[in-house]
Amino acid sequence: MSKVTTELDFFGLEKKQTNNAPNPKFKKFLDRRRSFREIQGAISKMDPEIIKSLLASGANPSETSARSLSVPSTPKEGHPHIPISPVHAPLTRPGMVPVSGTVPMTIFYNGTVSVFQVSPNKAEDIMKVAMETSPKKDKSMEKDLPVIPQTTLRTKLFGQNLDGDLPIARRKSLQRFLEKRKERVVSTSPYFPTSA
Amino acid sequence: MEDPDTKKPRSTPRNVDDVISLVIPYVTDARDRASASLVNPTWLRADSETREHVTMALCYASSPDRLSHRFPNLRSIKLKGKPRAAMFNLIPENWGGFVTPWVNEIALSMGRIRSVHFRRMIVSDLDLDVLARARLDELEVLKLDKCLGFSTDGLLTVVKHCRKIKTLLMDDSSFLEKDGKWLHELALHNTSLEVLNFYMTELTKLSPRDLATIAKNCHRTLVSAKVGDFDMLKLARFFNAAVNLEEFRGGALNEDPEKPDKYTKLTFPPKLSRLGLTYLGANEMPIIFPFAAQIRKLDLLYALLETNDHCKLIRKCPNLEVLETRNVIGDKGLEALAQYCKKLKRLRIERGEEDEGGLVTQRGLTALAQGCKELEYMAVYVTDVTNECLRTIGAHLKNLRDFRLVLLDQEERIIVADLPLDNGVRSLLMGCEKLRRFALYLRPGGLTDVGLGYIGRYSPNVRWMLLGYVGETDEGLVEFSRGGCCPKLQKLEMRGCCFSERAIAAAVMELPSLRYLWVQGYRASMTGEDLRVMSRPYWNIELIQARRVPEVDERGEVGEVEHPAHILAYYSLAGQRTDCPPTVRVLREL
Repeated sequence: MSKVTTELDFFGLEKKQTNNAPNPKFKKFLDRRRSFREIQGAISKMDPEIIKSLLASGANPSETSARSLSVPSTPKEGHPHIPISPVHAPLTRPGMVPVSGTVPMTIFYNGTVSVFQVSPNKAEDIMKVAMETSPKKDKSMEKDLPVIPQTTLRTKLFGQNLDGDLPIARRKSLQRFLEKRKERVVSTSPYFPTSA
Repeated sequence: MEDPDTKKPRSTPRNVDDVISLVIPYVTDARDRASASLVNPTWLRADSETREHVTMALCYASSPDRLSHRFPNLRSIKLKGKPRAAMFNLIPENWGGFVTPWVNEIALSMGRIRSVHFRRMIVSDLDLDVLARARLDELEVLKLDKCLGFSTDGLLTVVKHCRKIKTLLMDDSSFLEKDGKWLHELALHNTSLEVLNFYMTELTKLSPRDLATIAKNCHRTLVSAKVGDFDMLKLARFFNAAVNLEEFRGGALNEDPEKPDKYTKLTFPPKLSRLGLTYLGANEMPIIFPFAAQIRKLDLLYALLETNDHCKLIRKCPNLEVLETRNVIGDKGLEALAQYCKKLKRLRIERGEEDEGGLVTQRGLTALAQGCKELEYMAVYVTDVTNECLRTIGAHLKNLRDFRLVLLDQEERIIVADLPLDNGVRSLLMGCEKLRRFALYLRPGGLTDVGLGYIGRYSPNVRWMLLGYVGETDEGLVEFSRGGCCPKLQKLEMRGCCFSERAIAAAVMELPSLRYLWVQGYRASMTGEDLRVMSRPYWNIELIQARRVPEVDERGEVGEVEHPAHILAYYSLAGQRTDCPPTVRVLREL
């Protein structure tokens, strides 16, 4: 894992002993208010043009690397170029070369997934813009949303048996519906503020 | 080469080979064809030249040029890419399953292709462009089924070039929506559409007016429409025009407490018999009562009904053959099914939210088994189950071909479950002789090693299995794969099991028909070396590395979920993959 002075150990991964944790749920390390749903919600409401301009107009070119792994990645041999936005540098091979001082930032947007190598400062900028452009202000959202650092995975870490603690997975489509259902239930409750 | 289109009889067949070339076009079952092709080179050629459809359960099992060389006159193909686990968010999105090489082959040398079905694959706009331009008006069916990677531009190209398209499906696909032009283009030119499906897509830029126009222009042919979240009132014109519509799913019923009669004036096409209305609530339910008696297929997965609502509705559908819903249906709902829906053939009960209430247990399943004897497919998430219940299923449901049971892990409740289920499972397998697909997903203690041995011994016809949290030690797997066990098992999926790599690899070597293995959650070694026990020619072994993925849990909180490593192994004539993302590691020969 690359060490950066401004790195935010969001999940307390440094402190956590992964090997002896039978419970893969990391809830206890998280601040309740920092709901990923809200982060995701903010990002999903962002105008892609804003993301593009932010990343393209990096004040310090050495600071940010806008190399992106745009899913779906293309196969190596003789694959025709998929038309993708100019921000996403076309890669023939999904392997990324990380620029020092940058950490991967994953953005789920409108059915696509992109990963950018950004410095924490740039990431915070993106988060701030997201909050500004999002129409509904989530009152419980923090001003400074931390970047979610991704650790470099080593197979060794997870080579051990997890003591069978795999939660039953839900179908994607059903999961989406159940989330929508929750929102509908909330919005029709008598105590929901209707001043949207 | 004989033209397969003209099945002109010769004056007198001179020998068996002449006969077979006349007969074989009428043999359509893939397994029969496969058998016939093994007889001798003449039969192989007869099959090859006349084969019209091929399904590849895994696109990496062979290569595009092998396919087109063996079956030069293919009209229809279905390819599947990602493992089934992808539907449950377990597989990296960029895992693979690119359609590009296949589309290129279709364009180059498969000049008779009329129907293309890609399932769980990665499709780009360029792929769609190549396909559309290659097949033009001859392309009748395009199904992008749980695919990702394209945009509405790709759809527009298809619609523009393939003017006679009859089936256009993008069900549950994940793609970029730029505009609604593709639907508009369909509305402008198409008069042959039979099936239109953009269900479970998050499309927001489509115009209901275009949909209505399509219904009008294709009123003779349009029989099935599965659409997105249009408010149902906006679909009124569509329903009025689609006079031959038999199947409809989607729409959105947005209840308005100030207008309780909002949807009561809605009329539906007269032949509608397969239905699923999104957000259907108790208040709106009566709008389908007038034609409930003719409903054969009902999708309540995305409805907002409670247990009693289910009962009320079920009572009115005596001709119901297929039902999909969540476990809010409860035992009460299953008892209603047993009483009123004697023709039920397929039942799928998915796992809803805990706050919905409604539990499915042995009580409901027992009633169901006794009342709905025609059941062929049953997939249920249960809160509790007993051996006796499974025995009853085995005793009554003799037509069962596909049985899937998941025992939910409810932490907050103390459920006294009748574990282990060894004897019940044995009885069920012995009783349901026609079973071809079987899934059992339990919890530690749910099935002993002996029970796992029973599964091996009593599944003579099963071709696909999903086993979760079964067995106790490697010995269970030994019992499962012993000589004579699971003779026809082709595809095995396992999750959350305690078996070692070595045991898994050893079992694979014992199972005579196995061609595809997927495992997640097992006792892995540091390097995966033990998997080499199953090294053999044409057998690809891949590891999807363990990952940490940010996810929102049930409480809406962000967490990181550890995704343990997966093993994926399969037979392939195409050699090892060369298009893997970093998360996939191919185990190479030493």
